[in-house]
Amino acid sequence: MSALNDGSSSPRSQHASRCFEDLLESIVVDVASECHRIARLGLDRNLEDEEEELRLSAQARVADPGSSGESNSKNVVDIFGQTHPAIAGDTFNCMNCGRPVTAGRFAPHLEKCMGKGRKARTKATRSSTIARNRHSRGSPVTVYAPYSNATNSNRIPNGTTAGEEYTDYTFEEP
Amino acid sequence: MNNRRASINRPPTPDPDEEPEKELTLQEMINIKLIESGEKEKLMELLRERLIECGWRDEMKALCRAYARKKGRNNVTVDDLVHVITPKGRASVPDSVKAELLQRIRSFLISVPL
Repeated sequence: MSALNDGSSSPRSQHASRCFEDLLESIVVDVASECHRIARLGLDRNLEDEEEELRLSAQARVADPGSSGESNSKNVVDIFGQTHPAIAGDTFNCMNCGRPVTAGRFAPHLEKCMGKGRKARTKATRSSTIARNRHSRGSPVTVYAPYSNATNSNRIPNGTTAGEEYTDYTFEEP
Repeated sequence: MNNRRASINRPPTPDPDEEPEKELTLQEMINIKLIESGEKEKLMELLRERLIECGWRDEMKALCRAYARKKGRNNVTVDDLVHVITPKGRASVPDSVKAELLQRIRSFLISVPL
């Protein structure tokens, strides 16, 4: 029987070493699992890439001296070498009401054109508007109803009610 | 007639569930004792703490990061990372930490009747 103090060759020490290796392996798996998660979720790189981007954009800004960030953004060149104005200026026709509209003003335009009319309406009032219009117009079919046989395929220039009918009819048709 | 008797007396086919368990190795018994007494948990916590303190964990995470960057972060498996860490990990545990843990384990082994 070997002495208790016999280095690493005694059975007890061997068992102890084995236990230690066991513990270490569990911890290794822990760390590996956590790093795997970080890698797959891209958590780690996000920090690094963001830092790099900040540094690069800071450099770009320093290279172009003076002015606030706002006016600078107009002069900044994108990856294709193009510059863009701060507010989009292209003009097109609204597909809802047919009016010419500036791209940069499209969202507020849509709010009025599709949603509010002159004042804000809830969905309840809209359907009552449709009920009224159904009687007044005679034909229950709107221009946009997908299942209709409407020959009238022209857009109704009167933006408010046409837009509302469109919105509701697509939901209500079976 | 004897043959028929023999077939009646033949021992039943051993049911897999009823098979007697093989004897546990000493190592397995030690492990069970460690877990049952709660000592394994404590040792794990201790080792974890020591490895964090000495920066071992950060080293391993750096290895993993480098590996993931090289291989592409979506191509990495846990298994890969375990294989990346294990050799370096085993080698870089500080001697003091290892000694401390081994001492505790040995004390435990002495105190427990096996």
